[in-house]
Amino acid sequence: MPADDIPVPQEPADALAAVVALRRLADQMEDAAVEQAMRAGWSWPQVAEALGITRQAVHKKHAKRLIAAGVTLRRRQ
Amino acid sequence: MNAIGHYIDSIMDHGEAEARADGSAAVEAYHLLLGIAAQEGTAAHRVLTSSGLDRRAIREALEREFEHSLRAVGVSSAAFNVPPATPDPGRPIGVGASARLALERGFSASASKKDLRPAHLLLGVLEAEVGTVPRALALAGVDRAELVARTQETLSTQDW
Repeated sequence: MPADDIPVPQEPADALAAVVALRRLADQMEDAAVEQAMRAGWSWPQVAEALGITRQAVHKKHAKRLIAAGVTLRRRQ
Repeated sequence: MNAIGHYIDSIMDHGEAEARADGSAAVEAYHLLLGIAAQEGTAAHRVLTSSGLDRRAIREALEREFEHSLRAVGVSSAAFNVPPATPDPGRPIGVGASARLALERGFSASASKKDLRPAHLLLGVLEAEVGTVPRALALAGVDRAELVARTQETLSTQDW
């Protein structure tokens, strides 16, 4: 979207609600994007580095869910 | 456990399931509203449904608010074209600050613990002046003040 077309929140309530919605969207995107990457054969270290978080953090947050979803996880790079 | 204790348990359980389904880390006030709308046989449920606010209508209003808030900063969730994540049945779901506030408001709306009823809890959710719930209701064209007034009316009749 060209910069001129990006709406700027005028009211504090809109700006604050945008923060809440962006956080929720970012959480949803993280779950979906990690699952997509792991289904595509990415390793935990690759996903962790791409997200800018530790391997332990990404594993702790997503491993159980992906195993339950039947995703085949790569142990090593 | 008394009836209101069971009721609170069931709206919290429902709220947790809603939070898990939409990928939220915590039960927020809007999840409680969905829980209240899902429990039939209460004055709170009747107030909501008589305004066209069943669970599905509330969900739609919340989705509209979500997209509207994102659009204010030039973002659309539809632009993220990745298959949705598989929900995690084991992820711990906390109780968010907005849900705590709504519950506290609901508890204090009742004169005594013994008198606490579902409509008090609905009042606690509806009386938020800012946040996701009032924004979603406004976008859906719902008069929140009128909804609050009708909820208060049902409380004066001693209805469960």
